[in-house]
Amino acid sequence: MKVTLVKCPKCELPLYMETQDEFFYCSHCGTIHTRNGPKVERIPYEIADFRPDAQTDNRVYVPFWRLHTDFRIKSRDVKGGFFNKIGQALKGGDKGASIYIYVPASQMETAAFRYWSVNLTINNPRYSARTDFAGTPRMPATTTRDEAIELADFVAVTLEAEKPGTLQYLDYTLTVNEAKVVYLPFMSSRSGLHLAV
Amino acid sequence: MSGQLSVGLNCPSCGGAISVSEGESSLNCRYCGSTLYIEGDNGVNTVAFKNKLDRDAAIKATKAWWRKGFKARDLKSAGAITEVYPIYLPFWSIGTRVAGWVCGYEEKTTTDSKGNTRTEREYKEEMVLMDLSFSEIACDPGDLGIRSLRNFNGEASFEDMDMIPSFESTTSRDDAMAHARADAMARGRASARIPNITFESLHVLVRKLSMIYYPVWVARYTYQDRMYIATVDGVTGQMLSGRAPGDPLYQSLAVTAGTSLGGLAAAGGIIAAFTFQSEIGIAGVILGLIVLGGTYWFFRHGSEIIEGDFADRKQLASLKKGQLGSLLGGARI
Repeated sequence: MKVTLVKCPKCELPLYMETQDEFFYCSHCGTIHTRNGPKVERIPYEIADFRPDAQTDNRVYVPFWRLHTDFRIKSRDVKGGFFNKIGQALKGGDKGASIYIYVPASQMETAAFRYWSVNLTINNPRYSARTDFAGTPRMPATTTRDEAIELADFVAVTLEAEKPGTLQYLDYTLTVNEAKVVYLPFMSSRSGLHLAV
Repeated sequence: MSGQLSVGLNCPSCGGAISVSEGESSLNCRYCGSTLYIEGDNGVNTVAFKNKLDRDAAIKATKAWWRKGFKARDLKSAGAITEVYPIYLPFWSIGTRVAGWVCGYEEKTTTDSKGNTRTEREYKEEMVLMDLSFSEIACDPGDLGIRSLRNFNGEASFEDMDMIPSFESTTSRDDAMAHARADAMARGRASARIPNITFESLHVLVRKLSMIYYPVWVARYTYQDRMYIATVDGVTGQMLSGRAPGDPLYQSLAVTAGTSLGGLAAAGGIIAAFTFQSEIGIAGVILGLIVLGGTYWFFRHGSEIIEGDFADRKQLASLKKGQLGSLLGGARI
């Protein structure tokens, strides 16, 4: 095994991060990059600000991949869910749409992963962006861009499967137009994470 | 997977000793605070577990194993250990997450009070979201009977690697990842428990990939001029695999008891089926055939007790699952 000193690919300064994280953040120039062997990739990102009334204790930033996607449904077979089908028929059918899919970039328990990915995708968070973390700790990131794209497919099918009725078949395409990391503000407590935008 | 695994390395900035957990690729030096990146050979982190056993402990574990199960009763007195030595075996250790959906249906047949049967479909959609561990030996294990790693906890150190011979890794990282993906896919699909699948969308992510060198003690011994082998876990002291002579007395007793019980159950079942036209009779016949089949298996293979992942033991495992019927005259089990 080889151990190398991590330097920022933009300003060339060595990094001194307080937490162990696979998203390497340069506090000098603000660049975030990842490494895969010798390959270095810069990560586009945004930092969402805490809502003004959020407590100052137990704040944490959690990274999410935000994927702008085109989710197109060619055909589906759903058993049951009669009223949902009627509703969709009256609207002229549900053929999919352009959606922002949120995928947690941190290691989360499977239940938390499902909860946050589905809920943030259904209710995209609105926030004002800021330029730095202001000393707020960050949850370490572990999910690469390619992994996030795979998981976005899972989230998209989950949205369909969780509609009324029992899904039996789905023919679809999912095209990812843009991938960006968004650091969302959370309050951490014993009961879990609470979004603070 | 364990978080206790650590490997001795040095910080390139200050020279301080650092340790990294299995599968991790970054850390911060605890002395100078520099952020460091760990790059394995071809992207694979390699670690070695420290050997915790000595020769006497390995012999003791082997002899304790001789006394368990249906092995020859005089093995503990007539068995003679001819050589005992440690080796390092390489294993791929891969953590995966499988995420997706499996949809389909299950057919359920019901019979009403008038004897009319009806088959109904119960439609199902199941989410699959689970983290899995996979391990696979990274070399040809020869006659050792070891194919996967059961223990992932232990102190890591490369100290013993100079003194203990190690098998070279001969399988590729890509093959191991493909096997881990296939394993995760199969386990994810099985977890959905849907007999008739109409739609499936499963994704497997490889979370970490490591090469673990694991210490194993090999004991070779003789019994009545035949050679046998046993392997002992060099970290836990547990038996990993082995071959041992069976006992003719146990085989004889099994044949006597098995044929008697199996014959009685089958004959009773036939009588009950024809006399009372009862389904219990059919169940009795099936039970009898299973007992007879088990008896035959023990008689046929009881001359040697095999534990571990030996190739011929795998054949027996698949025989028990799918081919036992052929031994019973074509009955389907």
